[in-house]
Amino acid sequence: MNESARRTALVLVTLLVPAALVASWASSAGRRLRAGASSAAASSVAVASVSDDAFCTPQLKAVVRRVAGACGLLQGGGAGRGCQPMEAKKVASLTGGDFNAMFRPLAKRAHIIQFDADKTDLDADALALVDKAWADQRGASFFFVVSRASTDGSEERNEVLSRDRAKAVVAHLTERFHDPDLEKQVGLLWLGDQFAQLGDEFCGWSRSRTAECTGKDINRSAFIAWIDCAI
Amino acid sequence: MTPEPESDDDDQDWKPPAKPARPFLIAVAAASFVGAAFAAESTSDFIQHLDRQVHSIHCSFIPGAGQELGDSGCRTVMMSPYSSFFRESLWGGLPVSLWALAVFAFLTYRAGLLAWRGSASRAEATFLFAATGLPLGMSVIYGYLAVAQIGATCKVCVGIYGASAVAFGAAFLAQRRVPQPVGQAPDRSKFPLWFAEGVAFVAALTVVFLLFKPPSSSGKGNDGCGTLVRADDPSAIMLELSDHGRVPAIEVLDPLCPSCRAFDTRLGASALSDELALKGVLFPLDSSCNWMVTEALHPGACAVSEAILCASGLGPTRDMAFARKVLHWAFLHQDELRSQAKEDEKALRQRLEREFPDIKGCLGGYPVKNKLTKSLRWAVSNAVPVLTPQLFVHDRRMCDEDTDLGLEYTLRRMLSRKGPDSKEASR
Repeated sequence: MNESARRTALVLVTLLVPAALVASWASSAGRRLRAGASSAAASSVAVASVSDDAFCTPQLKAVVRRVAGACGLLQGGGAGRGCQPMEAKKVASLTGGDFNAMFRPLAKRAHIIQFDADKTDLDADALALVDKAWADQRGASFFFVVSRASTDGSEERNEVLSRDRAKAVVAHLTERFHDPDLEKQVGLLWLGDQFAQLGDEFCGWSRSRTAECTGKDINRSAFIAWIDCAI
Repeated sequence: MTPEPESDDDDQDWKPPAKPARPFLIAVAAASFVGAAFAAESTSDFIQHLDRQVHSIHCSFIPGAGQELGDSGCRTVMMSPYSSFFRESLWGGLPVSLWALAVFAFLTYRAGLLAWRGSASRAEATFLFAATGLPLGMSVIYGYLAVAQIGATCKVCVGIYGASAVAFGAAFLAQRRVPQPVGQAPDRSKFPLWFAEGVAFVAALTVVFLLFKPPSSSGKGNDGCGTLVRADDPSAIMLELSDHGRVPAIEVLDPLCPSCRAFDTRLGASALSDELALKGVLFPLDSSCNWMVTEALHPGACAVSEAILCASGLGPTRDMAFARKVLHWAFLHQDELRSQAKEDEKALRQRLEREFPDIKGCLGGYPVKNKLTKSLRWAVSNAVPVLTPQLFVHDRRMCDEDTDLGLEYTLRRMLSRKGPDSKEASR
C-alpha cells in the first residue's frame, strides 16, 4: 500500500468514525428531547403547601372555619382582628363534650397555659410555653387560643376572665415576636365557665405548671395549639 | 532493513536514524487513541445530556467503565461552565471534549501514518511533537481549572491528561531519534498544510455536532417554568447572596443539598451572575422543621439553616456577610455535617456554635425557629415545588433542566426579558 492509500485509509478511520459517533449521539439526544417534550406529563414533584393532618375532621374544620371567620382571619387580616366575644355554642354547634373530644387528637400539639384563680397574668413558665408553642408552627395555618375560667365566681366575671386570659396570650406573642402574620393566624375563643369545661384527664397534657391539678385548676387556663388543617 | 521514507517533506538527504523511532511513533499513536477513547466517552456523556434529562455518566480511569448516576467529580466538572464553549449562544455549548476528540483523532492519524511507514522525517517528527503539545497544554490548563476553580477532579479527564502526557513524551523521544540532516536548516514548509489538516479535523467534528445536535430552544426554557405569586419579603427571611447586579433574582436553597452547592459553584463561575441581585430563601429538606417532607433528605439542614438565619440577624440590623460566610462553610462541609446530624443533631448544633460563637444564644431559640418557619411558608405562599435548588429571575422560575448545562443559555435569555412591570411580561 502506498503512502496515499495509507493516508486515505487512516483519515477515513480516524475522522469518519468519530464523526459518525458524534452524529449518532447528537441525533439520539435530539430524538429523546422531542419525545420528552411531546410526552411532557405533569411534574410529579410535590408543591409546597400547608399541613392538613389526619385529625382534621370535617367537624374540626368547621369550628376552625367559624372561629377564623369570626376573628377576621379568612379576610386576610387586612382590617385587623375582628374577634368579638362570641356565643361559643353557636360557633361550635356541638355539646361541650363533643367540642373537647374534637381537640383530643391535638394532644401532642397543644399546650395548656394555667393561671392563678381570678388572675390573667402569665407567669414565667407560661411565657416560655407560649413561646415554645408559637415557634412550633410548622405547616399549620391557624393558632387557636381557647381560654376558660373555673366555675368559681359569677358567669359574667368568668367570661371577662377567660377573654382577658386569651388576650394576655396574644399580647405576649405580639410583644415577643413582632410577627406581621400574627393578625392573620391567631384565633381566639373564650368560653367563660359555661361551655366545654375541661375534664381532669387534661391534667395529663402539656401544661405550664407541674403541680397537681384539679378540675378547677385545669379550667383556669388557655388551651393553645397550632391547628394543622387547611381550610 | 529500514524502509525508505515516503515523507511529505521529501528530504533528499535523509539518512536512516541511528535508533529507530518507530516504537515511539506507535506509542504516540496508541496514547492518542486512548486519549481519543476518553474524549469520546466524555463527549458522549455530554451530548446525551442535551436532551435535558438525567443520565448516568462514565467516571473511571478505564474507558467505558464506571457509569454513575449520582454526584461525582466527573458530573461536577461536566456541568461546570468550563466544559464547553459558547454556552450563552448554544444550549449546553460546544463541548471542549469534542475538540479534544478531534485533536486526538488527528494525532492518531498523524502518528499512525508515520508508524505504519516505519519512519519519519525530522520535520514530521517535529510537527508531531509540537502537535502533542496542544493537548498537554490544555490538560495543564484544565487540570488547574478543575482543582482551583471547580474544586473537583474527573477520572475521565485525568485519563485524557495522562494520555496527553504519554503522547507528548513519546513524541519527544521519537523526535529525538530522527536526526536533523547535516548542513540543512529545518524544513517547516509543510507545517501549514499539516496544521490545516488538524484544523480540518476539528472543523469537521464541530460541523457534524452543530448539524445534528438538539435545538437550543425547547419551547419553554425562555419563559421559565412558573412564576412567583408573592416575591415580597414581609418577614425579612431572605438572605442577600449578591448585591452587585441589577436584575432581581431569588434562589431557593438548602445549605446541605449537594445540588445546591454544585449550582452555587456553577452560578458563581458564570459571568452572568454579576448581573443578578440575588437573594436566597432557605428551604431545608429536613423533616425536623419542614413538614413538606416525610424524612430528612438532608439531615441537619434545619440546624444549619437556623445558624445562617442567626448569623444574618433576626432584628432590624442584619449582617449578610456573616450569613454568607456560614452558608459557604456549610457548603464546604456538607458531607460531614449531614453525617454528623444523622448520628447526633445536638452535636451538630454544638459544632455550629463552636465554629461561629456569635450565634450562641440564638441557635435553637424560638425566634429563629419562627423565622425558619416563615422561610418555609414563603415557599408555601408561592406554591413552589418541594425541591432545591430553584432560581427565579424577574419572578420567573428557571426550569430544572436548564439549571446545569443550559444555565448560561437560559439565564442570558431570562436576563434579557423585562421585569414583571413591563408590557412584555404582562402580555
